[in-house]
Amino acid sequence: MIRVKNLTKEFGSMDNGGGGVLALSSIDFEVRDNEFVTVIGPSGCGKTTLLRIIAGLISYQHGEVSIDSHPVVGPGPERAVVFQNFALLPWTDVLGNVTFGLDVRGATKNDSQAKAKELIKLVGLEGFERRLPKELSGGMQQRVGLARALAVNPRILLMDEPFGALDEQTRRLLQEQLLQLWERERKTVVFITHSMEEAVMLGDRVMLMTPRPGKVKEMIAIPLKRPRPPDIEKSAAFIEIKEYLWENLRAMQTDQP
Amino acid sequence: MKKHALRDWGPRLAVLAVAVALWEYFLSRSQNFLLPTFSHIATGLFHLIFFEPRFWEALYISNQALIFGYATAVMIGVPLGLIAARLPWMDRFLNPYFAVLLVMPVAPLIPIVIIALGLGLAARVFIVVSFALVFITINTRAGVRSIEPTLIEMAKSFGAKETQIWRRIIVPGALPAIFAGLRIGLGRAITGMVMVELLLVASGLGRLLLEFSGRMQSDMVFATVLAVIIEALALLSAMQFLERKIAPWAPNISIG
Amino acid sequence: MKSVTASETVVKTTAARNIGSSPGLQRSVRNYALEVFALLAGAVIWESLGWSLGLQWLPPFSQVLVALVQFLASGLILSNLQSSLLSLIVGFALSLVFGLFLGALMGRYRVVEKAFDVYVHALFVCPSILFAPIFFAIFGLSDASRIAIIFVYSTFVIVINTATAIRTVEPSLVEMAYSFGCREHQIFTRILLPASLPLVFAGIRLGMGRAVKGMINGEMLIAFVGLGALAQKYGAQFDAAKVFAIAMVVLIIGLVSNAFVQALESRLTRWAD
Repeated sequence: MIRVKNLTKEFGSMDNGGGGVLALSSIDFEVRDNEFVTVIGPSGCGKTTLLRIIAGLISYQHGEVSIDSHPVVGPGPERAVVFQNFALLPWTDVLGNVTFGLDVRGATKNDSQAKAKELIKLVGLEGFERRLPKELSGGMQQRVGLARALAVNPRILLMDEPFGALDEQTRRLLQEQLLQLWERERKTVVFITHSMEEAVMLGDRVMLMTPRPGKVKEMIAIPLKRPRPPDIEKSAAFIEIKEYLWENLRAMQTDQP
Repeated sequence: MKKHALRDWGPRLAVLAVAVALWEYFLSRSQNFLLPTFSHIATGLFHLIFFEPRFWEALYISNQALIFGYATAVMIGVPLGLIAARLPWMDRFLNPYFAVLLVMPVAPLIPIVIIALGLGLAARVFIVVSFALVFITINTRAGVRSIEPTLIEMAKSFGAKETQIWRRIIVPGALPAIFAGLRIGLGRAITGMVMVELLLVASGLGRLLLEFSGRMQSDMVFATVLAVIIEALALLSAMQFLERKIAPWAPNISIG
Repeated sequence: MKSVTASETVVKTTAARNIGSSPGLQRSVRNYALEVFALLAGAVIWESLGWSLGLQWLPPFSQVLVALVQFLASGLILSNLQSSLLSLIVGFALSLVFGLFLGALMGRYRVVEKAFDVYVHALFVCPSILFAPIFFAIFGLSDASRIAIIFVYSTFVIVINTATAIRTVEPSLVEMAYSFGCREHQIFTRILLPASLPLVFAGIRLGMGRAVKGMINGEMLIAFVGLGALAQKYGAQFDAAKVFAIAMVVLIIGLVSNAFVQALESRLTRWAD
C-alpha cells in the first residue's frame, strides 16, 4: 500500500527562504494493494512530480510518503517506473534494454536473459530481441520500456504518461494490451495521464488534481466492470464520469491567470 | 543572484590559488634560476605597460598586420561562405579544399610566403589572412546550411524574392554561426600574427619576445606573453559582447 | 570578462566528416567523383602555373611530388618523422588522459565546472602558440618543450567536448538508471560513458588535428630536429618544392590519423544516427 500524507514539495527554495515554486501542497491519499489508480489534472499541477517522489527520484520537504509503512527514501526493488519518452538505451538492443534492471542488480546473464525473453514475448515483440531502439516504432519502444519494468518483478508500477508520446491508434492498442497484462497479474499501478478517456478506461479510481500548487481535489471511484470490454467507452456510465472530469478540468483551466 | 555569482568565484579562486602554489613549488625545486615567480611576472608586466615604450611600439606594429589581415579575411571569407552555401556546385567543388585546409598547418608554408612577398607588412598580412580565412568561410557556410529548409520554403510561399530571403532569413539565421567563425578566425589571426613574427620577421611583439628570450630575461618573456594573451582575450570578449548585441538568439556551434 | 560556460562552445566536426554526404548510393558516388575531380583540377592548375610563371616560390606540382618521393626514399623524412611522431604521441596521449578526465568531471559535477570553466575557456580561445616561448623558457631546447606545446594545443578542445558530451546526456536516461537502483559508478559506466561517446570522439578528432598543428608549429618556432626544423632549413635555402613536400607529409599525417579515429568511432557508435 502506498500512503501519502500531508505531502508538500517546493522547488528551488534556497536557504534564504523565499523564491521557490510550490509544486505540491498537503497531498493526502492512499493507493491500496493491487489497485489501478489514474492521476489526472491540468498542466503544471505536479502530477509528474508526485510520481517521481513516490518513485524515490526526488525529495520532498514535508509530509510522509511510505510503502507498506516503510518511508520512501530512494528507489527500491518493489517499484518500477515506465517513462513518457521511453528512456531506452540507444546503444543496446531490445534484449539488453529489457535486462537492464536485472543486470544492475547483479543477476546472472542466463537468468536475466531468460526472464527478458519471456517478457519480450509477453509484450508481443518476439523476434525483435536483437534490434536497436532506433529501428523500432514509438509503440514498440514503449513496450520494451514496459517489459523492462516488469522484468524486475515490482509490486508497484509507476507510469508517467507512458502513452503520451504516441499517436492515438498506437495508444489505444497499448491501453488494451496494458489492461490484458494487468488482468493476468494485478500489480499496484499509479498511472499519470492527460487524457480523460484513458483515466476512466484504465483506472479503478481517478485522482483529480488541482492546478499549482497541486492538491487532491477528488478521488473518483470507477464502478465499471473488469475486465473492461472494448466498447466500454460507449456506455453511459463511462460518458458520465468522463464528462464530470471534463467539467472540473475545464473549470480549473479558466481559473488560471 | 549576487550570492550565486560569489559562490561561483569561490572554487575558481581556489583553482587559481592551487595553480600559483604549484608554480611556486615547481620553481623552488627547479635548477633554472631564471624562472620568474608570480611577483616577478607581475612587476614585469607593470614595467612593460608603463615604462617600456618599445612595448607599445611593438604592439602597434604587430596589430597593423592583425587588423589588415583579419579585416581582409572577414571581407573575403564571409561572402565566400555565403555563396558557397547557396550554390551547390561551387560548394561541392570547394569542399575537399576546405577539408584539406582545415587539417593542414599553415606554419610550414610561412617561409614560402616570405620568399614570395618579402619581409614586410604584405607578407605578415597574407599570413594572417591564410590563418584565419578557412575557419571564417567554413563556419559561415555551416551557418547557412543549418537554416531549416522549411523556413525558406515558407518565405517563398509568401512570394519572397531571392534578396528578401537573404536579408530576412539567411543572414539572420546564419548570424550566430558566422559570429562563431569570426571569433575563431580572430584567434587564428592572432596566432598567425605571432607565428610569423617569431619565426622570420623580427618585428613587433615577436621581435620583442625574441630579444627578451635571447637576453635570458624570462620574467619579461612571461610578461610579454601575458600581455598578448590579455589582448587576445580582450578582443575575443569584445567580439562576444558585440555578438550578444547583434545576434542574441542562438547558442554557438562552431567548427574549429 | 563575463565568464561563458564551456557548454556554449560545442564543437562539431560536420565539415571534415560529411563531405558531400547525401542519400542514395549513386548520388554519393557521383559526389565523391566531383571532389576527386576538384582536387585533380587544382593539381593541374598548380602544375601549369608552376611551369608558366616560373616563380621561385611556386614550383610545379610534379616537382613537389618528386621531392616528396625523394624524401620517402632517402629516409630523411623517416628519421625526422620518427622524432616528431614520438613527441606527438606522448603529447597527445597526455592531453587525452588529462582532457577526458577533467572534461568528465566538469560535465558531471557543477562545482568542478564552475571552478574550471573560466580558465578552460580562456585557454581554449587564446592562441596556443603563445605558450611556446614560455615552455622554451622553462624546459629549454628539449623534447619536454615540444610535448608541452602539443599538450596545450590539443587538451582544451578535448576538455570542452567531453564536458559537453557528458552534460548533454539525456537526463531521463540517468533518471531511469537511478530508478532501477544504479549507484553513481554504475551510472557512469552504464549510461554516461556510452551515451557521451559520439561527442567525445568529435573532441578527440579535433584534439588530434590540433596536436598535429601544435607539433609542427612548435617545431618551427623552437628549432628542433623534426619536420618543423626541416621546413625551416629548406625555407632558408629557398627550396620551395621541399617545403611544400614537408607540408604535404604533415597533411597526410593529419588525414591518416583522422581517418583512423573516424574508423574507430564508426565501429563504436553504430547505434547513433
